[in-house]
Amino acid sequence: MDADEAQTRIREIQRIMERATLFTLLPGTPAVIGGLMVLAGCAVSFAMIRSLDFAGILHLPVNSQIAFCVMWFAIGMIGILLEVILTTRAAAKQQLVPVDRPMRVAAFSLTPSVIVAMVLTLKFLLPVDARVWDMLWTLDFNVPLEPKAEEIQYIVPIWMMLYGTDVYTAGLFSVRAPRALGMTFIGLGIIALLCFPQYGVVAAALSFGLLHIVFGLYIIHKQRQTVV
Amino acid sequence: MNEPVRPEDFDAVIHERVRLSIVSALAVSAQLSFNELKTMLELTDGNLSAHSRTLEEAGYIVIEKSFRGRRPYTCMTLTAKGRKAFERYLNTLRQIVDRGKRKMDDTS
Repeated sequence: MDADEAQTRIREIQRIMERATLFTLLPGTPAVIGGLMVLAGCAVSFAMIRSLDFAGILHLPVNSQIAFCVMWFAIGMIGILLEVILTTRAAAKQQLVPVDRPMRVAAFSLTPSVIVAMVLTLKFLLPVDARVWDMLWTLDFNVPLEPKAEEIQYIVPIWMMLYGTDVYTAGLFSVRAPRALGMTFIGLGIIALLCFPQYGVVAAALSFGLLHIVFGLYIIHKQRQTVV
Repeated sequence: MNEPVRPEDFDAVIHERVRLSIVSALAVSAQLSFNELKTMLELTDGNLSAHSRTLEEAGYIVIEKSFRGRRPYTCMTLTAKGRKAFERYLNTLRQIVDRGKRKMDDTS
């Protein structure tokens, strides 16, 4: 065996170990907790806007609008933090060979879509257009930036589809379950966008809430079956 | 360390590609079921079954068979002997790569 062949074998071994690591570390508990937080967030949203349509935020006073956005941002951040902390703890608990690349691969596959979703969300919430340059040029900040209800309705389906794309891509390095979750998110996102954009609260509760809980429980059940 | 690596230095049980894949996956998992390994490594039932039996006969893995409800359930664990053999095999590969690099450095 020559050096090139040996190098190829080492790479193959690494690839399989990464795959197995991602499989073992699929985040079951964070998915369940994240799903519960989203359900709570949806309940609070409904209580605040008295509507199943996220565009109802437009009728809230500015302070409540800010509180609403901060709440959803916090839910997202706590979800990400939980996933990182619990996955790292699970790896340490199982005394896994430290393979950090799969974690980076999963994180990197998530990043671009999250950035796109955040930019679109900001664009829909604060409909920045060419007038902003006029405002900056003339220092006249009285030009109102008016968000449109139909654009705000796109936010949840867009997050669903982009998150689904992320999870599907991350799942390419793992087993079937995350890929199925990703495709379900994309499918539900398409339906929500085309058929029920005015029911964003329901779409968020069903996908980011309920679907995450079901997925998390499935993963926990599978891991209990396989990992001692 | 400086002696050349001979074909007999390779553990014939692990050197086979499918068996190496099985051992590599088990090296980072406490335990994996037959179906999980099959999916992860994209193998057929027969292929995985035959190679896992060879690994079991060599004492590199333990295969446990049980029932989950009415369905048979098979799971595999890497033994200490299997882990040692895997580490030895990896070291041999690394030696070959290092030697190749040194040769390249010498010639350039």
